Amino acid sequence: MFYLELLLVGLVWGCTYAMMALGLTLVYGLLRILHVAQATVFTLGAYVGLLVANHTGSLAGAFVAAALAAGLLGPLVYRFIYRPILDKPPFVALVASIGLLIAMEDGFRLLFGPYGLSFAKNTWFTTAVGFGGLSLNLVQVWIAVAAVVLLSLFALFATRTRAGVAWRATVSDPSIAESFGVGVSGVRHTSFFIASVLAGVAGVLVGLLNNLVEPGMGSVISYKGLAIIVLGGLGNVPGTLLASLLLGVVESFGTVYLGKLLDRDAIAFLFLILVLMIRPQGLLGKAR
Amino acid sequence: MSIKSSSRLIFTALVAAAFAAPAAAQNIRIGFHAPLTGFAAADGKSAVQGAELAVEQINAAGGVNGRRLELVIQDDQARPDQALPLANKFIGDGLRVVVSGSYSGPTRAAAGVFHQAKVPYVSAYAIHPDITRAGNYVFRTSFMGEVQGRAAAKLIGDNLKKKKVTLVTLNNDFGQALSAGFKEVAGRFGIQIAAEHTYAMGDRQFGSIVASVKKDDPEALYVSGYFFNGGPLVAQLRAGGVTVPIIGTEGFDTHNFIAIAKDAAEGVMITTSLDRDSSAAPMRRFIADFETKFKVPADMVAASTHTALYVVAEGLRRGGVDDGARIRAAISGLKDFEVATGRISFNELGEVYKAAQIQVIRGGKFRHFATIDDPVLLAPPTK
Amino acid sequence: MDYYLSVATFAGLNVILALSLNLISGFCGQVSLGHAAFYGLGAYAAALCSVAGLPMGVSVAVGMLVAGGFGIVTGFAALRVREDFLAIVTMGVGFLFLGAVRKQAWLGAEMGIAKIPSPLDKWGYAALAIGGAVAVLLLSLHVRRSWMGRAFGAVAQDEDAARSIGVDVSGYKIAAFFIGTAAAGLAGGIYAHMTQLVVPDAFNFVQSVTILAMVVVGGIGSTLGVVAGAVLLTLMPEMFRFINDYKLLVYGGLLLLVMRFSPEGLAGLVHRVTGRRLA
Repeated sequence: MFYLELLLVGLVWGCTYAMMALGLTLVYGLLRILHVAQATVFTLGAYVGLLVANHTGSLAGAFVAAALAAGLLGPLVYRFIYRPILDKPPFVALVASIGLLIAMEDGFRLLFGPYGLSFAKNTWFTTAVGFGGLSLNLVQVWIAVAAVVLLSLFALFATRTRAGVAWRATVSDPSIAESFGVGVSGVRHTSFFIASVLAGVAGVLVGLLNNLVEPGMGSVISYKGLAIIVLGGLGNVPGTLLASLLLGVVESFGTVYLGKLLDRDAIAFLFLILVLMIRPQGLLGKAR
Repeated sequence: MSIKSSSRLIFTALVAAAFAAPAAAQNIRIGFHAPLTGFAAADGKSAVQGAELAVEQINAAGGVNGRRLELVIQDDQARPDQALPLANKFIGDGLRVVVSGSYSGPTRAAAGVFHQAKVPYVSAYAIHPDITRAGNYVFRTSFMGEVQGRAAAKLIGDNLKKKKVTLVTLNNDFGQALSAGFKEVAGRFGIQIAAEHTYAMGDRQFGSIVASVKKDDPEALYVSGYFFNGGPLVAQLRAGGVTVPIIGTEGFDTHNFIAIAKDAAEGVMITTSLDRDSSAAPMRRFIADFETKFKVPADMVAASTHTALYVVAEGLRRGGVDDGARIRAAISGLKDFEVATGRISFNELGEVYKAAQIQVIRGGKFRHFATIDDPVLLAPPTK
Repeated sequence: MDYYLSVATFAGLNVILALSLNLISGFCGQVSLGHAAFYGLGAYAAALCSVAGLPMGVSVAVGMLVAGGFGIVTGFAALRVREDFLAIVTMGVGFLFLGAVRKQAWLGAEMGIAKIPSPLDKWGYAALAIGGAVAVLLLSLHVRRSWMGRAFGAVAQDEDAARSIGVDVSGYKIAAFFIGTAAAGLAGGIYAHMTQLVVPDAFNFVQSVTILAMVVVGGIGSTLGVVAGAVLLTLMPEMFRFINDYKLLVYGGLLLLVMRFSPEGLAGLVHRVTGRRLA
């Protein structure tokens, strides 16, 4: 029972990671950018969601508003920050991204205060759901549901729609895709939009899960997200999902059994390093 | 209080500092550093508020020997490498006394510098045991972590009669000190420690700890951390079906803790120095004035810095404003000095003895539960 | 005066750190996001030795060796993974160092190591830090001109091409990591004695990013540019003390703007304005 519970906890963690990491891997697959500032988008989503929820009392409204705000910010970051420096060495975009994250973390603090904000009404948070001796709160259940639904929608998008096919073609070879009439710029904007919407929704969910939205909430999950996309094999979507769930479970068991030696972040990165030393291309990445 | 007004206050303080040369004959300047930016900015803000309230109250009551106090506020980002130049800057600017409204890292790093320069230095809430050991110019007005841990052991073993306890410990100097103090005396109160689980500062998700606690099946939980860890932690424990009493620390002593944990906070007890139902005048006045000035309920960090400022002001009143050695002697000579966090006297190390206030959350508010006044159990170290 | 001395000391330490990272990332092209770990390793090792009674010189040397030793291990990792993979692995090394130190009782865990003997006065530390910075600066200039520097450049430009013309890529990568991390260890040893306290948080990811920021703001690969970047980013927070509340906002914004508008950093700016390339 104890192990089952740890497994479940790990899978829920994995679901939040997956929602962050999928966007990161989309961006990386297209542009080879480690998009650390995704954390900013995540945090913005959480704040917008919280403010809307507390003012209107509507959680549905909160999710829509968060998705829109995040979905707007992401493409803007691409257009005004990344696009002009795409031809520079990769660390340029990485450092620019870290700079944006640092600045915005403090920006959120100046705007909304350092203590963080809580939801005025958060019934999911306080409702426990028990089944077969296990007990979760309702937010955890919704996180799992949201991850499955959103990721399935994404899979449908990628395989069944014209835009999705164009996206996959651009990932595998931008110049050939362009010569077949795919608008590369449109594909990039769309990818940033999708990645950001996922991050924004994840932000609200994590905000509900902690019942706390705070300026620095995005950074750790973003660094973990980077670890996950590397672990999965950079730019590889199924690998990213597998790595997310795996890392969640490793952390959940690791904090119990390795807690005396390492903290949670160190456990995650130790796992990452070990896997990469054995498979340098990541779990499902293709060998180069 | 809004961000705008807080930054305006800081700005005012800084402008005042910049033009202080001609005005210095009038105002007594007190150095103050706190984490205004970075991960600890929440506590930094409370610290600044506590200090500002103290200065305002003291000035309204006529200042110190007819002169007004003035805060010179600097940001240390809770980083030791920021604190060193900052300490030297305070000394170079001729400040005679400095208060730390910051964490252990920067406070410990700065303490040595101030001691060498013979500038009295009062730490408001940093808990590292080595801070006061930097030298006899260094004081601390808060509980040491170990002492507070001992108070919690007595509360659980004696008052509540719970004998099987699981510890959930924040993995930083604060949490480790609390846990060490608790474990040191647990046996004396017949407490058997079922297990200890640790987590990191950045953690908000505690699923594996909740599962482990259920497996331990303790009679009570002793939980350390700050409100931003503790709020989610307590809520997740309750949602996970853990119903036993939860005992926390002064890190939870803020309304933000209750705002996050909501109903799950009901019944949680904490060891602290702030008694909301106190009849002591300085404590009552601090609680009332704080809420009037900042429109939010007072918290422990603010109370601690408020206390430190009062101690410094009293030192200046008795020791004069020019001579660090005399100010130091005046502070170390304080006996039964009444401040917002109780009645304090310094020992030879520069630590204080205070009674521990046990508060319980009822109806969404901190209320008095018990007072542990045991000078032997709660004695701070003397060397 | 003491204030200027302590700022000068930190400027010296930061120059050492930035130049040492520049050796790895600038000269040899191996981006590292975990440099603070080696700074920390040097500090902790030196602190342990000094507390055990060894003289400061020996302690600092041990710190350099320990940092360099772990640097060699990381260098081996750099043989397995490249570019972005390496960036994330080195970031992981930083988190791993921190997470391990936090839990080790013999390293003081969260309390760190305090009461480290401090044999020098403020002038001594300032001289030591600046002397160390000058030494690493001269080393950097020398390496750049030497055969090793050219080999580093070849590895940075195109590993496979370098290998095909007979450059010992693995050997040079490991050499770059050893020299760079040992120098970071030197900074750590000085830091530990000066502050007489080492705690884990002083060597976190933010510190790694700060070092990287000095390198890229100065202009990655340019020794003089990096020195300028390190000095500038040390002085900037001090100059910005009057905007306490907005310091990190300005800092992050500056990083972003430099990368966006002058990705080659200060060195690139000098090149554009004067037409001269900085060493």
